[in-house]
Order: sequence, then C-alpha cells, then structure tokens
Amino acid sequence: MMEIQDALRKKEIWAIGGGKGGIGKSLITGNIGIHLARLKKQVLLVDADLGGANLHTTLGIGVPEMTLSDFLNRRVEHIRDVIIPTGIPNLSLISGAQDFLDAANPNFAQKTRLLRHLETLEADYILLDLGAGTSFNILDFFLFSDHGILVVLPEPTAIENAYRFIKSAFYRRFKRVVSDPHIKDVIDAAMDQKNSMGIRTPHDLIERVKTMEREVGEVLELEVAKFRPKLVVNQVRTKMDIQIGFSMKSACQKYFGINLEFLGYVEHDDCVWQSIRSKRPLAVEYPFSRPSRCIERIVHNLLRKEQMTMSMLY
Amino acid sequence: MMMKRVEDLNFYELLEVDPGASSQEIHRAYERIRKVYEPNSVALYSLFTPDETETIRARIEEAYRTLIYEDNRVRYDAMLRAQGAMPEPPALPPQRTGPARTGRTGAPPAPERRPAAEPPPASGPSTPKHDDIASVSQLVGEFTGPAIRLLREQRGKDLRAIADITRVGMRFLEYIEEEDYRKLPARAYVRGFLQLYAKALGCDPERLASDYLKRYDAAMNPPKK
Repeated sequence: MMEIQDALRKKEIWAIGGGKGGIGKSLITGNIGIHLARLKKQVLLVDADLGGANLHTTLGIGVPEMTLSDFLNRRVEHIRDVIIPTGIPNLSLISGAQDFLDAANPNFAQKTRLLRHLETLEADYILLDLGAGTSFNILDFFLFSDHGILVVLPEPTAIENAYRFIKSAFYRRFKRVVSDPHIKDVIDAAMDQKNSMGIRTPHDLIERVKTMEREVGEVLELEVAKFRPKLVVNQVRTKMDIQIGFSMKSACQKYFGINLEFLGYVEHDDCVWQSIRSKRPLAVEYPFSRPSRCIERIVHNLLRKEQMTMSMLY
Repeated sequence: MMMKRVEDLNFYELLEVDPGASSQEIHRAYERIRKVYEPNSVALYSLFTPDETETIRARIEEAYRTLIYEDNRVRYDAMLRAQGAMPEPPALPPQRTGPARTGRTGAPPAPERRPAAEPPPASGPSTPKHDDIASVSQLVGEFTGPAIRLLREQRGKDLRAIADITRVGMRFLEYIEEEDYRKLPARAYVRGFLQLYAKALGCDPERLASDYLKRYDAAMNPPKK
C-alpha cells in the first residue's frame, strides 16, 4: 500500500509550449494549475517565459517581489526562496524574470542550475509555462519535462509554428542522444528544409543515419517512439476546429512517425478575456464557464493518461 | 516499431483502422481521413507540400477502393500475409458483414475461415473485377431503387448482410429497392434508412438519400395545382 502511495506521490513536471505567442499558454497553464490544486495536489507553477513573463497576471497577482531573475543572478541561494504563494490553497508560483535583460537569455550554466534546482523541489506537479519561439532554452525546458503539452489555435499560423516546434524539439532530442559529430552535422543539416541531402522527413533522416551507423539509427527510432507530445486546441468555435486536433494527430503520425496525443480543446468564449481584463483567474471568476470546464476535462485526461477519441465528438 | 514513410504504409495503416475492421468502420475511417488530407487542409499547413498531399490522397482512395470491396480485400489481405505484413491467423472475424455483436469486440467465434487466399474466383457474376465496379458506380449517376440494388449486388452483399449492418428490416430494404413507396414508413424514417444503407454500401449518405427522396417526393406528393 505504501508503495502505491509513493508511486502516486512521484513528482511530475509538465511543460506547456507551442511555438507561437498569444495562443493562451499562460492562461491554460495557470488554470490547469488551479484545477489540480483543487484536487488537493501540491502544484507549483513556474513562469519559464523568461523574456515576457506574465503568468502572475493570469493568476491575478501584481508584480511579484521575488522572481526567477533573483535566482538566476544569485541574489538568492536556492530556488525555494523565490516561490511565492498565489492565495489559492496548494498553488504556488515562481514568477518569471522581470528586470534583467540578460535574464531572458540565461547562459548554459544558469539554465543547468535552474533545471537542477527544479528537480529538487517538492510538489506533486510542477508546471512550466514556456515562452514563444523555438529557441534552445525553450526546447530544453520542453524536453526536460515528463510531459510536453503543445497549445495551438485552429489557424494556419499557430499550426505552422506548432509543427516547427515539434520538429525542432524532435531534432534537438536526436542531437542529445548521438555523440558522433558527423551525425550531429547531418541532423543540423536536416533542420534546413532545403538541405542538399534530400532529407525531408524524420524518416529520411533516420534512414540516412542508418547508412552511416546502423545502431545510432536504431537508437533514434527508439527516441521517436518515446516522444509523445500532447496537444491542446485552444479557442475552438466549431466542431471543425476540434477536428483539427484529430487531423494533426494523423498528420504527425504520418509525417513524423510520432504519437501526438490529443488531450483536449478549450472553447472560445468572451468570459476568457473578461477574466483577463479583471485580472482574476478564469477558473476562479467563471468556474462553470465552458472554457473552464474544458480545462477541467484536460486535467482529468492528463491525470488518467487518456486522450480524446472521435466518439466524444458525437 | 519500425518507422515507415507514408508511401510504405499498408492500406489499413493508411486509413488508421484495425486489419479486422468491418466495412462500416473502413468507410467511416475513410470519410474522416479524406477530410484530413483534402487540399488546403489547415491541419497539414506547412507539413506536406501540395504534391505530397495529392499523392497521399490518391493512396487513400486506392486503399478505400481496395478494402471496401470484399473480393479485393480478400486478395489484398492474402498479399499482405504472403509478405508477412499481416499475422497469419487473421484478425478478421469469419463473417465481416455479420452482425456487430458477434464482431470484433466479442470473443471471435470458431475460426471457420472463408477460403480466403484461394485463387481469385474467376467465374460467377457476383465477383466482378475492381474495374467493373468502378465503372458501374459511375454509371449509376442517380440513386434510384434499382440502382441501389445493382450497387449492392456489385458489392457482393445480399439483403440479409445489409440488414445486419444497418439494423434496418430486410422488408424495408426490399421496399426501398423496389421503390414501393406506399409500404415504407414516414418520410423521416425512410431518410434514416437510406443514409444507413448508403453507409453500408460506402456511398455518400447525403447524396443517396436526397437523390432517392426526390423521386419519392415526386411520387408521394405530386405538386398541387
């Protein structure tokens, strides 16, 4: 019995990203956190959007006194010292860097220290709110976590960025498991869509690596099977919009060979911007609104390790 | 699991169905996946070039045409098995067109397999070749009662099989084919029956139903003077 309890207590780190800015990453992170906290889980939100932190705002907290930059610049010794309460039971926050320009681009040592400290923190769930873009820091946070969640909007721009994000994360993961510099070069080259080697898809890349070194290619194949990002479609207005989640799942399977899990969707509703305007979290201000219910369902899917199925649509 | 490129996926993988899927499941999967890969599909944006999407679409059509017709599917399964791409004791229930309750979900009944991989039966009018079927369905044009019957016969299905899939009484299916409108129930029910029938045949339910009901209306509600 104790063992089961221990297993349940195991900390999980989730990262929420998506490539494009303004698609609701912070909002979804904050509200997932609130729903988890209501289920009596100890939750720590980390605003890893170092250049444009505003997770605290979606939670209705003013500019915090202690932020990540205090930690990154060693004004405090341990990351524990920058944790602030949110006023919601079981939910605490590490706010993003506010002041320093260099905090947006931590160097390798700072990033390693941050990740190392995150691992030591006590919580049931640590949620990382990632910034926009596909910079190495963001990708590394994404790959560091136990579960990576991608947010998209049902629009070409957001979808394009999501695919770019998946591709970048994917290839960065590849690069971490190979040591041969020649193979690393091939992976770098493959990132360029117009590469001269004719590598278009991850499949082409693996085939290519296999001709160089068979075992390494097989290791990469294993990595493909292990990479299972999750997808949330935000601001859906129609059933067709929800359908995009299933379509992206199919496309990822066929293009990347990866299993994208369609975790859920969040309906578009004016109450979301009203809650942002009033600087009060959606799940607190409008707990029974449709978007809030959608996020609740996402949390349940996450906890039960389930995903959307077609039959849920009808 | 080996990673495959899209061109190397077999028809079941391409349509994302189980090799034991019923024809109705295959039809549904096809309808869904066809939408995913339609030109300008937003979910594919930036991932596939238009040419690649076109290739995938063509493969999906081919997969559907192969798997939806019993004879073609039997031949295709045999080919997959010969390549070792499909497990030898087939996951297919002995009667794919049988009622759903004895279908895939329940314990599969005794494996009295059809003479599956035997040489393609060359005789008999009920085993038309792939090309014949395609041409007939193009020829149909309008879905009249006799046209629907012809289509059903081309699929090698009897009324009983359709009744099992659709759960519509054989009697009504017969009236539909005979265009015996007066014996059919109210129009709304007929519409539902037609859509189920269309799905079982792998036709567009909306088109079949509206075609048929046009004739139905003309006969049942002649325009008032």
